[in-house]
Amino acid sequence: MSGGSRTVRDRAPGDRALGDLVTGDGTAGGHAMVELRGVHKSFGPLHVLRGVDLTVEQGQVTVILGPSGSGKSTLLRTINHLEKVDRGSVRVGGRLLGYRQVGDRLHELSEREILRQRTQIGFVFQSFNLFPHLTVRQNLTEAPLSAQRRPRAEAEALAARLLERVGLADKADAYPRTLSGGQQQRVAIARALALEPALVLFDEPTSALDPELVGEVLEVMKDLARSGTTMIVVTHEIGFAREVADTVVFMDAGLVVESGPPAQVLDDPRHERTRAFIGKVL
Amino acid sequence: MVTARHPLRWVAVAGVLVLLAMAASALITNPAWEWEIVGQYLFAPSVVRSVVLTLELTVMGIVLGFALGTLLALMRLSPNRLLSSVAWGYVWLFRSVPLILQLLFWYNLALLYPRLSFGVPFGPALFDIGTMDLIGPLTAAVLGLALHQAAYAAEIVRGGLLSVDHGQREAAAALGIPRARRLLRIILPQAMRTIVPNAGNEIIGLVKGTSVVYIMALPELFYQVQVIYNRNGRVMALLLVAAIWYLILTTALSIVQYYVERYYGRGRA
Ligand SMILES: Nc1ncnc2c1ncn2[C@@H]1O[C@H](COP(=O)(O)OP(=O)(O)O)[C@@H](O)[C@H]1O
Ligand SMILES: [Mg+2]
Repeated sequence: MSGGSRTVRDRAPGDRALGDLVTGDGTAGGHAMVELRGVHKSFGPLHVLRGVDLTVEQGQVTVILGPSGSGKSTLLRTINHLEKVDRGSVRVGGRLLGYRQVGDRLHELSEREILRQRTQIGFVFQSFNLFPHLTVRQNLTEAPLSAQRRPRAEAEALAARLLERVGLADKADAYPRTLSGGQQQRVAIARALALEPALVLFDEPTSALDPELVGEVLEVMKDLARSGTTMIVVTHEIGFAREVADTVVFMDAGLVVESGPPAQVLDDPRHERTRAFIGKVL
Repeated sequence: MVTARHPLRWVAVAGVLVLLAMAASALITNPAWEWEIVGQYLFAPSVVRSVVLTLELTVMGIVLGFALGTLLALMRLSPNRLLSSVAWGYVWLFRSVPLILQLLFWYNLALLYPRLSFGVPFGPALFDIGTMDLIGPLTAAVLGLALHQAAYAAEIVRGGLLSVDHGQREAAAALGIPRARRLLRIILPQAMRTIVPNAGNEIIGLVKGTSVVYIMALPELFYQVQVIYNRNGRVMALLLVAAIWYLILTTALSIVQYYVERYYGRGRA
């Protein structure tokens, strides 16, 4: 399915801080970072995903485009098991997500094992979903402390480094509500990175922002991409896709219609539906 | 324009002040209120002891009531049909039966089950005790108040949990935070913003509600002043003593509620 290049991108030499955070955990042996095969998902009678195949190599940035309701959010949510798939398989870092394969039978993992898998995958929401009753620092340290059982000093040092990285070092003691939308989303990205995930998923991270705040969030994401973080980004920001993506995937009605390098999918789409959508967005 | 601004408002203020002055004068100058008797009994040891008992009943009723209520709320919200039906049934039953009736029921439980035994369900008993010994008037009162309170607390806690934005659960789950921690650290503190004002009403209601246990001859505040005025005939003065104490207790609780609300409102503009 992956029409893009299969080479793992090199990390830019200057980007040490975040580069260090990327764990290549479980990706040895030639496995792709993310591998979806024939994924189906229905909500009642609504067949939202109709057999999605998707491969994302480590260090790559994949941008998913598609009309509203085409199943993009649902697809992202299956990648960290917030949604169970009805059929097909999801592998992250070569390991089956949410299940263990014994022979040809699948056994669902325990809650604890699923939570552990999730800590390898960061998720950034359209509506930020910061914890409003916790300070910015507490938002960043909560999961490292309770999900990864890290020592407090270590979690706080990491939080400080990440806030520095997203340009919000002075906001550690602020409550989320006192920040602008762009600042809140940068905190949310830092919170996702605090788990030092191997993969970060973004679901329309700039769609809830005023236009003048979109740029600062995209800058942080570009910086992350340059540092070699594996990212899957659902967005309508064509400029971002063109500049940053290794692969652009176009989805419609629960299927991947086409995918490939940005220049090909954005400028010379093979399918009529892709062409119509890109024409509308640009 | 400066002088004649809001003339009606000034008329209203003057009217209210006159009414207040009349009320104060009626309270202070009418000797039938017997203020010196009020002063004499306000801090009488038996009255103070009854205030303490009222407080104890309130605290136990609220703490046990909200503990059970929270459990019921979680059961009610659980995807397990049996658990949620049992919780629904509990709330239905205990909100339907008047508290006073329930209290009498617990008090007279010995008539139904003279002995209670604890042990393996339907199996051998580990120990066995006379119902009368186990459920005295105090236990019956606490049991009744707590079970009654739990039905209301369950609805308040459930409403609070439902008021928390779904994205909060989702974000906590996506971060891999363990289930219990998600509830205690992320969801409940936010639910408290809706729970505390309603719980405050319940607590203040229960301070006064404890007065119904007088039917079990427990010497809480209301029962105690009745005992005293039956002896000395100073009905109005002693009812005033009780009213003053209820005012003091509920005022103190309102102040506590203000600070608790402020604590859980942190981070909100
Ligand atoms: N939890 C759910 N229950 C029922 N329907 C859902 C649920 N989540 C998504 N859907 C439906 O699935 C379809 C695809 O949704 P989504 O994945 O959010 O699309 P997109 O992100 O591309 O806009 C929509 O019609 C949406 O209403
Ligand atoms: Mg969506």
